[in-house]
Amino acid sequence: MKIKVPMYVAKPAELKAIGFSYTSESDQRDLAIKVMAELRNSMRSLMVMLETCTKCGNCARQCHSYLGTEDYNNFPAARAELLRRVYKRYFTWAGRIFGTFIGAEDFDEDTLGKWLTYFYQCNECRRCARFCPFGVDTAEITIMARHILSELGILPRFMQGIALNMKNTGNNMGIPKPAIMDSAQFMEDEMREETGLDIKIPVDKPNSDILYIPSSADFFTNVDTMLGVAKMFHVLGANWTIPSTILEAANFGLLFNYQVMRSHNLRLQQAARDLGARLVVQGECGHGWRAAKMYTEGCNGIFPFGLVHILEYCAAHLDRLRFKRLPLRVTLHDPCNYTRAGGVIEQPRKIIRACVEEFVEMTPNREDTFCCGGGSGILMDEMMDIRLKLGRKKVEQIQAVGDIDYLAIPCSICKAQIPAVLKHYGIEKFEMGGVMDLVGKALVFDK
Amino acid sequence: MSMITVKGRQIEVDEDGFIADPAVWNEDVVRYLADIEGVGELTEKHWKVINYLRDYFKQFGFAPMIRKLCKETGFPLKEIYELFPSGPAKGACKLAGLPKPTGCV
Amino acid sequence: MLFFLGHIFPYITITVFLTGMTWRVLIWLNSPVPFQLTLFPAPQTFAGRVMSIGWEIISFESLWRGDRILWLWAWLMHGSLAFIIVGHIVGIYTLTLEFTLIGLSPGTSSALSAGLGITAGIVCFLSLMVLFYRRTAIDEVKRLSDPVDYFVLLLLLAIVISGMHMRLTSLNIDLTAIRSYLAGILTLHPIPIPRTWIFVSHFTLVNILLLYFPFSKLFHGAGFVVNRGMLTEKPPIYPTPATRAGEARFS
Repeated sequence: MKIKVPMYVAKPAELKAIGFSYTSESDQRDLAIKVMAELRNSMRSLMVMLETCTKCGNCARQCHSYLGTEDYNNFPAARAELLRRVYKRYFTWAGRIFGTFIGAEDFDEDTLGKWLTYFYQCNECRRCARFCPFGVDTAEITIMARHILSELGILPRFMQGIALNMKNTGNNMGIPKPAIMDSAQFMEDEMREETGLDIKIPVDKPNSDILYIPSSADFFTNVDTMLGVAKMFHVLGANWTIPSTILEAANFGLLFNYQVMRSHNLRLQQAARDLGARLVVQGECGHGWRAAKMYTEGCNGIFPFGLVHILEYCAAHLDRLRFKRLPLRVTLHDPCNYTRAGGVIEQPRKIIRACVEEFVEMTPNREDTFCCGGGSGILMDEMMDIRLKLGRKKVEQIQAVGDIDYLAIPCSICKAQIPAVLKHYGIEKFEMGGVMDLVGKALVFDK
Repeated sequence: MSMITVKGRQIEVDEDGFIADPAVWNEDVVRYLADIEGVGELTEKHWKVINYLRDYFKQFGFAPMIRKLCKETGFPLKEIYELFPSGPAKGACKLAGLPKPTGCV
Repeated sequence: MLFFLGHIFPYITITVFLTGMTWRVLIWLNSPVPFQLTLFPAPQTFAGRVMSIGWEIISFESLWRGDRILWLWAWLMHGSLAFIIVGHIVGIYTLTLEFTLIGLSPGTSSALSAGLGITAGIVCFLSLMVLFYRRTAIDEVKRLSDPVDYFVLLLLLAIVISGMHMRLTSLNIDLTAIRSYLAGILTLHPIPIPRTWIFVSHFTLVNILLLYFPFSKLFHGAGFVVNRGMLTEKPPIYPTPATRAGEARFS
C-alpha cells in the first residue's frame, strides 16, 4: 500500500494464524469487487445505503469523528463515498457509463490505503444515521468496508491479535483457564474480606440457570464491575455461572469480519448449551451487546435461550435489592451501542438513581450521545493521536457537566478510551467505572 | 517486528517494544527496556514487581489482575505508575518480558 | 421532431420511469436483511413504524434536528414541488375550476388557482436557487458534490422556469388543448402535441426528468422508505423463534 496508514497492519504470518491470507496486489481489485458483489446479494443495506445519499451534508456537523479530526474524509457522507464511488463504478449502469460525472470512480493504488485509514476512523456509533433524512448508516457501510478489507487480508494488527486470543482462549485478552480460575478465587477472597460473606464467582458450574458473559477486561482491570455483578447475583440467590470457554461479551468479529463474528457468536451458543443455562446475561460491553442482541439469529439461527443485558436484568430486579445510597454526584456516559444500536437506554439511569445520591445527565444524552472515540475497537496505542481527536466531543460533554465525583461508563471499550483521553486533557478529578460497580458498592447485604 | 541489540545479542521485539519470545528475557533486557521506557534506575521495588509478574506468568500463563498485583506487591496503583510510567500493563509487563495485554484495556 | 416529442417520447419516458422504479425496488427487496439494523429508540408496533416513517416524510425532522437552514429550504422545495404536482393534476383536470367545488365563481377559481400556482412556483424556484447556492458555498457540501448534483438542480430549475414562463405568459396557452393532449397520452390514443413551443419545452424537460429519474439520486424517495423500513424493524425477542408475546422471561 502506498499510503501511510495510521495503524500497524497484520503481517502474512499473523493473518495465517487466524485463518486469513493476504491477497497479492494484482488480485486485490478483482477480489474486492467479488466480495462486494457477494455482500450486495446477501445484504440489502449495502445497496440501499450506497444508492440513497443525496449529498445534503446534514451528517457533517453531527459526527464527532469529523468534528474532532477535522479531516474531510471523516465526514460521514465523504467516508461512505470512499466505498460508494467504487460501488457505483462496478454495480450501477449510470456509474459504468458516466463515471466521475455521477460520482463513480475506479480502484486505484490508493483506494485500499484510504479505506484502511478512514474506515478505521469511524467508530461505528450510528449517530449520523439519526440525522440523515434517509437513515443512511455510515456504521453499516464501515462494517462492510472493513469486511471487504479483511477478506483481502488487510486488517489492523490489533484486530488480529484479539482474534487470535479469542481463537486460543475464548476471550479477547487471551486469559487462559488457570489464570481465570486464580482470578475468580482472588475476587472471591476480596469479597470475603470486604463483606464477611462467602460470595462466589462460579466458573463452568453445570446446571446453572443463568450464564453470565463478562467482558474479559472485567477479569483484569475493571474488577469492580465483576464484583458488583457477583454481589447482585448473590443477594438475588441466582443460580449462575461464567463460562471459561467464552469469557468475553465482546465480539470483535462485528468490527472487522462477518465470518469471525459468526464463529464468536457460535461459541456463545455452545457455552449456553454445554452448561444447560436458560438465560444468557451479557456484561458491560457495548458492541458485544449489539452483536448478541441483533446479530445472533442472522449468524447462527435459532437461539433457544433468553438473552438480556446485565443492566436490563439488574433494573428489572431493583425492587429485590437494597441499597445504601453512595454520597456521590454521578453522571452517565451513554455507550452508542446501548442507546442507538441496542435499546438499553433508561435502565442504567434507573440503577444509578437507586445507588447514588445525585445523578446528573450529560448533554446531549441517550440516543444523541457522542461516542467516546474508541468505538469499533479503535484502541490501538499507535493511533493515540487520532483517538484523542475522536474523543474530543466527549471530553467537552464531560467538562460541561461541571463537578462530579464519578463518571459511570458501562462499556469496556469506553472504560479503556475515556480515562486515556481525559488523562491527556489533564482531567483526573473524579473516579470512573461501570454501573454495576456502583451496585456493588451500594448494595446492602442481609447478614 | 524489529530487532534490538542488548549486550551484543539480537532480540526480536514487536512494534510496541514488547519482546517476542519470553524465553530470551534476562536482566540485561530489562535494563535496556527500562531506559527506553524512561523508568530510570531499577530499584528493589521495580524488581519486586517484575519478579512477581514473571512468577505469576510462569504459573498461570498470563499477567495477574492488576488489583492482585497491587495487593501482592504491596504497592498501590499510583505507586506502580510512579515506578513504571506506562503503567502495570504497558510498562511493567513490558519490562518483565510478558506479552502485551490487548483487548479493551 | 414534434411527432417524436409528442407521440413517442412520452411513452418511452413513462415506461422507463415505471419499470425502472419498480425494477430497482425489486432488486433491493430481493436482497435479504440478515441482521437487524434497528436504530433505537424504535417503534414497537407496525402502526408505530408507519407513523414514524410518515412523520419523517412530512416534517423532515432529522434535518430540523440538524441544520435548520437546510431544513427550511429542503422542506420548502419538496413541499412546493408536491403542491405543484397536485396542483397540475387538479388544475388541468378541472381546467382551473377546482375551487368552484367550494362555491367560488369560475373567475375567482381560475385566479386563485393561478395565484397559488405562481406562489408555489416562486417558492420552488427560490428554494432550488438557495439549495444550488448552498452546494457551492458550504465547503464540505461543495467537496462532496459531483457534477450530477448540480445537473439535477439545474434540470429542476429549468422545469420550474419553463413552467412559470407558461403561467406568466398565459395568453398563448390553451389549457383545454393541453388537457386533451395529456388525456390522449394517458388513454393510449395520442393526438398531436399542441404546437406552443413553451409547452413543448416544459413538457419535454419533464419527460427528460422522468427518463432520468430511476437512474439518479432522485430515487431517494424509495430509498427513504426501504432504508427506514430496515431501521424501524422490531428487535428480536429471545428465546427465538419468539413463541410467545412479550419480553424474554427473567429467571
